[in-house]
Amino acid sequence: MRIVSSNATYDVIVIGGGVTGAGVARDCALRGLRVLLLERHDYNHGASGRNHGLMHSGGRYAVTDPDSARECILENEVLRRIACHCIEPTDGLFVTLPDDDLSYQATFVDACRQAGISAEVIDPQQALQLEPLLNPDLRGAVRVPDASIDPFALTLANVLDARLHGAETLTEQEVTDLIVAGGRVQGVCTLDHRTGQSHEFHAAVTINAAGIWGAQLVRHAGINIQMFPAKGTILVYGQRVGQMVLNRCRRPSNADILVPDGTVSLMGTTSDRIGIDEVDDMRVTEAEVNLLMREGEQLVPQLAQTRLLRAFAGVRPLIASDDDPSGRSISRGIVCLDHATRDGVEGLITITGGKLITYRKMAELATDLACRKLGVDAACTTATLPLPGSEQRNVITGGFKPSGKSNASKRHGDRRRAIPADDALDRMSICECENVTIGEVRYAIEQLQAHDLANLMRRTRLGMGLCQGRSCACRTANLLAHLTGNPDSALRDLARLIDERWRGTKPVAWGSALRDAQLAAAIYQGLCGLDKAISRKEVEP
Amino acid sequence: MTTLHTLIIGAGLSGLACGIALAKTGRRVTIVSAGPSTLQLNGGAMELLGCVDGQEVTSPIEAIARLPLDHPYQKIGVEHIATLALEAQQLLGDAGVTLTGDPHHNHWRITPLGVLKPAWLSLRGMATATRPDRLPWQHATLLNLKGFVDFPIHFVAHNLSQLGCEVTVHDIEVESLGLPRRSASEMRAVNLARTIGAGSKLRHLAEAINRVCDGDEAVLLPAIVGMEDDYPVNLLRRWVTAPLHHLATMPPSVPGTRMAALLRHYFKMLGGKFLTAESVGHVKLADHHIAAVYTAKSPGIPITAQHYVLASGSLLSQGLVATCDAIVEPLMGLDVDAPACREQWSHYGLMGDQPFMRCGVLTDTALRPLKAGTAIDNLHAIGSILSGHNPLTMGDGQGVDLLTALSVAHQLTTKCSLPPGRE
Repeated sequence: MRIVSSNATYDVIVIGGGVTGAGVARDCALRGLRVLLLERHDYNHGASGRNHGLMHSGGRYAVTDPDSARECILENEVLRRIACHCIEPTDGLFVTLPDDDLSYQATFVDACRQAGISAEVIDPQQALQLEPLLNPDLRGAVRVPDASIDPFALTLANVLDARLHGAETLTEQEVTDLIVAGGRVQGVCTLDHRTGQSHEFHAAVTINAAGIWGAQLVRHAGINIQMFPAKGTILVYGQRVGQMVLNRCRRPSNADILVPDGTVSLMGTTSDRIGIDEVDDMRVTEAEVNLLMREGEQLVPQLAQTRLLRAFAGVRPLIASDDDPSGRSISRGIVCLDHATRDGVEGLITITGGKLITYRKMAELATDLACRKLGVDAACTTATLPLPGSEQRNVITGGFKPSGKSNASKRHGDRRRAIPADDALDRMSICECENVTIGEVRYAIEQLQAHDLANLMRRTRLGMGLCQGRSCACRTANLLAHLTGNPDSALRDLARLIDERWRGTKPVAWGSALRDAQLAAAIYQGLCGLDKAISRKEVEP
Repeated sequence: MTTLHTLIIGAGLSGLACGIALAKTGRRVTIVSAGPSTLQLNGGAMELLGCVDGQEVTSPIEAIARLPLDHPYQKIGVEHIATLALEAQQLLGDAGVTLTGDPHHNHWRITPLGVLKPAWLSLRGMATATRPDRLPWQHATLLNLKGFVDFPIHFVAHNLSQLGCEVTVHDIEVESLGLPRRSASEMRAVNLARTIGAGSKLRHLAEAINRVCDGDEAVLLPAIVGMEDDYPVNLLRRWVTAPLHHLATMPPSVPGTRMAALLRHYFKMLGGKFLTAESVGHVKLADHHIAAVYTAKSPGIPITAQHYVLASGSLLSQGLVATCDAIVEPLMGLDVDAPACREQWSHYGLMGDQPFMRCGVLTDTALRPLKAGTAIDNLHAIGSILSGHNPLTMGDGQGVDLLTALSVAHQLTTKCSLPPGRE
């Protein structure tokens, strides 16, 4: 393998392009550090892209994990200021159903208030007026400032701002080794998945924000972190059945949150420890699907008649506390490890644990530590400086618009003005479910580092709507073939996307989901011969 | 009032072919038609048998002998396939669906991605190849209308050039069409065909083609003309100076829609009746015999006939329905050949040999569906609701549709109810 040595030296290398890594890169860049972000696949490929899209108020953890609850509500308030284009301020209800203990409500409200979370008890009738499809037998409801958040838009806005402030960010760049010399991590070796070339990058400080994959990473420096891979499965219903985030008012358990997200609803989650070898190939089981359906229908009986679109699973990057290999005393709070003091290895920081919505605080802690190591005195400004897309505060205040022209605004905030729209072709929508124009696809390719269909999906929501990419995948792949000049790779990409969508459909493949899958197969396999096109390509590379 | 000879449930390729065959013999036939069928997906070609054991087939008639015993072709009798195939081609031709091909020798159709796949019949005017590895042209000019996104032209160009054909790509604009539109759904192939029609806009299209392709060896145009019949197709061929061939597009497809329109029209011409925008709500069964059928819209009015034909399609057309625990035939609860457990209905890798594609109703050798193991005596099942084959991996979809339809039509028009050749 050819090693292409890079002469560039950075203050900080950030490993991992999830929301945390993106947040760290932004914070570092804003404090004037020379920073390089490395992502092995694409932004939000891991847990940051496989979650509820829930901006916790902290209520969920108020009783059992008050520190996490306080972290959540503080960041909840920050994100409303800096990331308003990613947020739909829905509020949430904690609902007591006949099976739940009503006395828990008082404990819950008390704990919320202690953590600084506003918690307003409302009577069941009022709750039903707010959410007519809620289980009519509910016995109590508490209103909290939960919200729905778009994790893709959030991460991309952080990456975009990092780049605007001088950060370099690379995708498809997998860290294969840490360069360790004299008890100090001095940089990383990488493999570029697009070119097949190896690179070396050097920095005074390396920050591990690789989530569940971080444990294997630090092993290259002889460091052991006990991770606890907790698989969480979520169902996507093809309809928005509620306006607010709906939670069960009970001790955090499986399948007790329903989150509205644009025109769909997400029901989750499960939590099961899995082997570290399973995290790259997670499969949703029939038992998980059945559990989520059963509990979801308890909360909103209408879900029994609502079509399921897909199911997916993510892995929480939980960390077992040191010297507790059983994982009993797991914290869902932020874990920031200075490996110099912990393991005697200088120049390496691990930032993990936490929640989607505490990413900024996590980034701040890791960057503070990096600054101390570098001897840089620069204050964190990320709590007050709006993200790109949210500079003009009025983007979201118009309230929820499920479809139509607001889609690009929701995704890119006030950055939507950068989307080409002068030409009639650029204004043409190629994904009608999510209203993605050809101009927006071009913008994502030219400005947002999108190289393939999966990248485009994460940046524009293309293919994520009701048809799950059946109509738009081929149109977009053709456009990609044109823009990149590589039809072979675009064709393989098309087949990959269809299989990836099916991977999500398969666990819920009955009813209209199975019908739609049969239609997709009839089109791409039967009519088009996509399978034949791909197999021929594999034989003659 | 004379009684109905046959009531057919489903107006896809199979139901229409069966209805036409019966109506031709003077029988009174009614077809219950719920809406557009999977013919909308058809790119202008029929497959009889394209692939056995993962190998592409050059002679379907020869290869049919190698099919497993539960395949629908085995039920209608391998020895009848060639005759029925010729009969089907004739019947479609009578309806104005002019097809060329030979059941003994597959030719190769060109898919919307520019891939060659084996085919039995192709609509006249469609581009085809006689060999799987070579195109009939040294050089082809590939055209698209600016803003038409349901024709992945860059894939077509790439895949055709892989077959040794030099391909030149042109986007053409026809001012009177006023393209492109804001929404891709206004720009589907069928919308274009409606807009282009057979008048001045078609003339403008021909002129636009002639401006870029004068004297070219072959001009390839997505199939965007001729919704009702092939008159505009023929007109365009006459007006365009270079040899013009059409290529299948992404659905909804113009050639498929045209075939459906021609077949429906011909069936009506023969005196057949449609109950359109109707679906069957309830079937009254008594002792493995259909007593009456009720539509969803008129649940109080019984429809009776001497014979009934179930041509309601697979899961896609809701001839079968998958609930979260079972794959069922929703009208009569017929016996369905399907894996018992949900996780076995499908595999990862959508374009493999998916078990759900093989699901269908079980029948006796006369194609009479079974319920609790016993055949319903005045009901036959035809087309894609039948179990025992995967049209996507075997390339036998239209063949099964047409040949089972004709086989059943024969049974219903001979006094003896045994299949032909088994008397």
